[in-house]
Amino acid sequence: MKAIDIAQPIPSITTGDSVTAAIHQMTEANLPGVVVVDADDRPLTVIPGTQVLKMAVLNAYHDDPALVRTIDEESADTFAHECNARSVGECLPAKLAKPATARSDATLLEVATIMLRGRSPLVAVVDKNKKLVGAVTLTALLGTMAPDAQPA
Amino acid sequence: MSAIAALTIFIVAFIFIASEKVNKVKVVLIAAGLMAVTRLIPGSHVFFSEHEGIDWNVIFLLFGMMIIVGVVKQTGLFDYLGIWAAKKSRGRPYRLMVLLMAITAIASPILDNVTIIMLVVPVTIVVCNRLRIAAQPYIIAEVLASNIGGAATLIGDPPNMIIASRANLSFDDFLVHMTPIVVIVFIVFVISTRFLFRKSFDYNPEQVSAVMTLQEKRAITDVNLLIRCLVVLTGVIVAFCLHTVLHVEPSVVALVGAGVMVLVSGIDVEEVLDEVEWETLVFFMGLFVMVAGLGHTGVIEKIGTWAVDTIGQHYFGAASTLLFGSAALGAFFDNIPYAATMAPIVESLADQIHDDQATQGLWWAFALGADFGGNGTAIAASANVVALGLAARGGHKITFWQFTRYGIPVTILSVFIAWGYVYLRYFM
Repeated sequence: MKAIDIAQPIPSITTGDSVTAAIHQMTEANLPGVVVVDADDRPLTVIPGTQVLKMAVLNAYHDDPALVRTIDEESADTFAHECNARSVGECLPAKLAKPATARSDATLLEVATIMLRGRSPLVAVVDKNKKLVGAVTLTALLGTMAPDAQPA
Repeated sequence: MSAIAALTIFIVAFIFIASEKVNKVKVVLIAAGLMAVTRLIPGSHVFFSEHEGIDWNVIFLLFGMMIIVGVVKQTGLFDYLGIWAAKKSRGRPYRLMVLLMAITAIASPILDNVTIIMLVVPVTIVVCNRLRIAAQPYIIAEVLASNIGGAATLIGDPPNMIIASRANLSFDDFLVHMTPIVVIVFIVFVISTRFLFRKSFDYNPEQVSAVMTLQEKRAITDVNLLIRCLVVLTGVIVAFCLHTVLHVEPSVVALVGAGVMVLVSGIDVEEVLDEVEWETLVFFMGLFVMVAGLGHTGVIEKIGTWAVDTIGQHYFGAASTLLFGSAALGAFFDNIPYAATMAPIVESLADQIHDDQATQGLWWAFALGADFGGNGTAIAASANVVALGLAARGGHKITFWQFTRYGIPVTILSVFIAWGYVYLRYFM
């Protein structure tokens, strides 16, 4: 089995898109992360879901649990509104990690090790021109390991 | 020949540190390694010479204080105070700024500036977001206040630790000589912020309710931990004040204080050690070896002798040059490497002057210049750099010039007040 066989088509995100757009894409397609591409549709980076969440939380809260506790429940329910206007590009680190990508003809073992090395539950699948053609999720990969398992 | 080699290594390394293009820890380690390998400073001196090697007093003082601060910051005290200040001000900009500056300046002489900024800036951003006002003026004012407040004590600012160790000055010496002028400068600074930031004072009364809903009491989850920490911190400060009577080095006070703090707080040692800025400690070690190379090869002594010949009996002129020169250089370079380099030169100069009052004047002029110079530009002190990073990540970007536009007038103002103080107290 090849990566392309278990990959699902995904809409791509660019650095100019808002964090909100990235969150929408994740929730609508039920993805564990997003793939950020450049103008030529080549993956720039793959952002795991927790890192997308990090973009939606005001930076001032990241390392200050005491400050987080002072926020009232009503405001806490809408915490992402404080970062709505920010673009994905603004939230990315200056030095991007190498994107977790696999060629469409990569074996499942290759995809698995790419996920492990990149600590990413999502691997972007690219064609021979390194353009995005889809993505393999951790769930899809695990599904191939236990094909007969019935959900409880 | 060895003096030229040492000076070359030192200057090249200093240029790299100042340019900030390369990691400064790498630079000092390479430079220190070169000094040691080429025998410009013998290995035995590196580790075991108090004046021509790593100043372990400073390293362990920093280490101990980092642990103490690491525990104190977990109490939530600063989040509580920041939000309390915002509520007290009811969103009125000048009142808010004064309260935030006061919290920063009062804490800075006890805890290090970088930590204070890391604790106060996030609260400031949250409060300003709620008031829908720009956080930049408040963050800049806090940084300036922390650098002024930090000058008050031996442990408030790293240059003071270096100077204290070199000049054999006690914690009480700093309280007697630095605290009075710092209080005066801070009061003048607070008054001047009314004019300095007058165009940035936005007031949105309709947003005040958003601040009033913040629940500052929830910041402190463990009141017992807070009380224990404050008791230990008070004990540490008392021990600092008595360290000459007890015949204990400040570094030992800090280490014992850190141990007691870890013991009474019950926080995991691993968690506390994560709070230690190892990179900073290694930077200091490398820096001391670099400067030791200059000392061992006679460069420092030559500069000191040249300075004595040049100033003759004009000690006030020398103190003025040190004060203004330190502030000017300290504003464009990180004031830590500057202080580490200049301290042995001032020591050499002081050794050749047989006038106690003038010697004191030189040391305090140097300390005031190096400390207040830290306000000059956005890169002059570590707290400034940290604040700019936090502000940018919080969506309130502060540019180099935006900071410097306020930093330079405050530095000039504070240095001139300090100049008058040095003249009146040591040379009149």
